[in-house]
Amino acid sequence: MNTLSSEERNALKDSVSKLMSDASTEAEVRRVMETAQGFDSDLWRALSEMGVIGLITDEKFGGSGVGPMELEAVMEETGAALLCSPLLASGVIAAELLQALGDETLNADLMPRVATGETIASAVITGDKGCWTESGVDISATAFEGGWQLEGRGNYVLHAQNADVLIVIANTESGLAAYTVDPSDDAVQIEALPTLDRTLRIASVRFSGAGAKQINATRPVWEAVSQALNLALVALAGEQAGGAKKVLDFTVEYAKTRIQFGRQIGSFQAIKHMAADLLVETESAISAARHAASSLADPSSHTHEAISLAAFACADAFVRTAADGVQMHGGIAFTWEHPAHLYLKRARANAQLFGSSDFHRENYLKALGG
Amino acid sequence: MTTTSNTNDESLRQEVKAWLAENWTQDISKELLNEQIYWEVSAARKNWLKKVVEARWAVPSWPEEWHGRAIANEQASIIEREFAKVRAPGAGQDRNNLWANTLLAQGQQGLKEKLIGPLLRSEVNMCLLYSEPGAGSDLAGIRTRADKQGDHYLVNGQKVWTSGAATAEYGMLVARTNWDVPKHQGISFFFCPMKQSGIEVRPLKQITNESHFNEVFITDATVPAENILGAPGMGWQVLNMALAYERSSMGEGARGPRSGVKQTNKEEPLINLAREASRLDEPHLRQQIAQAIAYKKLNALNTARAKADLSQGTSSSIMSLGKLAMSRILHEEGRLRTEILGAESLLEGADHPRAEDANFLSLNAYFTSIGGGTDQVQRNIIGERVLGLPKEPEVDKTIAFRDVRTS
Ligand SMILES: Cc1cc2nc3c(=O)[nH]c(=O)nc-3n(C[C@H](O)[C@H](O)[C@H](O)COP(=O)(O)OP(=O)(O)OC[C@H]3O[C@@H](n4cnc5c(N)ncnc54)[C@H](O)[C@@H]3O)c2cc1C
Repeated sequence: MNTLSSEERNALKDSVSKLMSDASTEAEVRRVMETAQGFDSDLWRALSEMGVIGLITDEKFGGSGVGPMELEAVMEETGAALLCSPLLASGVIAAELLQALGDETLNADLMPRVATGETIASAVITGDKGCWTESGVDISATAFEGGWQLEGRGNYVLHAQNADVLIVIANTESGLAAYTVDPSDDAVQIEALPTLDRTLRIASVRFSGAGAKQINATRPVWEAVSQALNLALVALAGEQAGGAKKVLDFTVEYAKTRIQFGRQIGSFQAIKHMAADLLVETESAISAARHAASSLADPSSHTHEAISLAAFACADAFVRTAADGVQMHGGIAFTWEHPAHLYLKRARANAQLFGSSDFHRENYLKALGG
Repeated sequence: MTTTSNTNDESLRQEVKAWLAENWTQDISKELLNEQIYWEVSAARKNWLKKVVEARWAVPSWPEEWHGRAIANEQASIIEREFAKVRAPGAGQDRNNLWANTLLAQGQQGLKEKLIGPLLRSEVNMCLLYSEPGAGSDLAGIRTRADKQGDHYLVNGQKVWTSGAATAEYGMLVARTNWDVPKHQGISFFFCPMKQSGIEVRPLKQITNESHFNEVFITDATVPAENILGAPGMGWQVLNMALAYERSSMGEGARGPRSGVKQTNKEEPLINLAREASRLDEPHLRQQIAQAIAYKKLNALNTARAKADLSQGTSSSIMSLGKLAMSRILHEEGRLRTEILGAESLLEGADHPRAEDANFLSLNAYFTSIGGGTDQVQRNIIGERVLGLPKEPEVDKTIAFRDVRTS
């Protein structure tokens, strides 16, 4: 893994920011979120050219091979712009899962295509319970005519409806195993799910005897899943911190310009104090996200503790900032035309994607020995 | 309390009970209680209300001339309680019918004769033409103008966030009739006919993906002079009375879930949801559910105490707390439903009613925390009017409205 210097990281962050302000404008987000695909192919290509999709993919597989700190920095920008894309699904979770499973033959073939975004990969991990522990896996695999067959259902699967390949975690008689599955197989049924956050794409995936190729994992499968989820949580924390900061910025700006009772509303202490509290939330989220990223990059640190902390602190900060942001705007933010609800809905969705804040608080306490 | 009034109370109670037993039949109650109608009133409901009004149960404390019985608030609440026991609608309108109460107190004879009955029977649809793009919390900052021309007023301006404007026959309108006096003194209050060419209603889409509120563009609309409530220039006082009615009803209830799926048992909805999600045994959820239900219960107790105070003739400061309390109740219930559902709350739509309800409640909670005056403004009102804390200095209170600063 190459860790960039902070100047290099800032340069990367700036170029992503520039791309977002050109191509993930509010108008674009609103257009794209109403399409079935849910992301824009041109912007996906632009992200690829910038090396963002293959950011954490090893150089030997055609990626940039950088680490969690760079990923987190990029996600702050994409989160601020409400980027609609399979970046988290394919470029982060699926890519990291493949790397962690360590099947060199498969990776040599598949990862270069995932790194460029030409192939979209999606990882099927949890089932209907939406729970992110081993017990949440609800698919079973059985050996069949020299290959494998899958039965069961995965749920809340990010961008499964757009996937070219599925990486599936399933139970076997001898414990968890990982498989690749062709989503166009007749025995695979992918149902796109309607979501409150329209910038999100998730689906349920039902396997009814679908053929699967086993991935030759070089380590226990759940260990690999955990590694991928850790990176996903760091990425998500960055997205949440960036989103929260953006909401706070435009809310404070509004409080400076909106006049009631002959004064800017920001001159009322009720508004000023809410803004100050949200600044504490937002800055804490940024610190937590960056701390989680740097501790994931440094194997000697207390990684679990830092990641669990970021997971709930950033989720809660984004939800609260977006929710209070609506209140601080008044009626205007209750309209569809105003961007505040897009952030509120993203925040609510992000807070549930890989486990609730309660789940992460519990893990935090466990990591602290409690 | 005297024995006579006790006997009177008891015979009144028996009279209501008997009437309800005869009229609130299985068929009617089933139909009305299963209705999922919020913005339109069904024929069945209108029919029922007509009966209630005819029997003089709707506004018993009002004069007989206006469908009442001229009885004391205390006795009127007996009627309300009996209706509530069997969940029959239509009683207590002398307390909670914003439109009819405002009209009765401030309207002119002709308008009252024309509209009080229909308002009590929900035969006319109404809306509130208060807020403007530049005047929300600062309602006295309105710029819509009403100019007297002979026997009518000519109205021009723009209103916004007007709930129900598209279906309304009348709007309670505040407009400026005098620009040369300070802002609170130049406002007048009208019943403005909505179905006329000078009024254009444009729906606004809400964050809940519905369109119940609207922008209303008013160009040379006419309002008969007899539709003014209170004297010209006294609109602020009328408005405050109307706002108090609105806020007190917002403190008592709000729109529930919209999925249309009915819970089959009588369990507290949060307990029921946690049970369905197999999470009722989680201690941290149990604590939060208990707290959320307690907020609701405490508000109901406050409201009941306020009502009792009212029926004893003293106005109650507790009444001002209800809307703020309700805002917390609704936001908290939305949050907790979301937490109970976990990942399921990502979803929406008819196939996912539990998620739909959790999300709708979470978003629609702003109807109560922003609509009808924001929580922040409500806190100011409680601090200043109820607790008697010093008022914030108002920079534009004493200057002629012409010279006031705007966004
Ligand atoms: C769902 C919904 C339905 C509505 N229906 C109607 C309707 O039918 N008819 C109608 O006329 N209006 C309606 N409204 C409008 C509503 O009354 C206003 O939105 C509300 O009064 C706030 O005004 P505003 O939106 O202009 O916000 P602003 O007044 O601009 O407020 C912006 C922020 O500043 C804060 N603020 C303002 N002044 C102060 C102060 N003095 N001290 C502390 N904080 C302050 C507010 O709390 C808010 O957070 C509706 C609104 C909603 C959301």
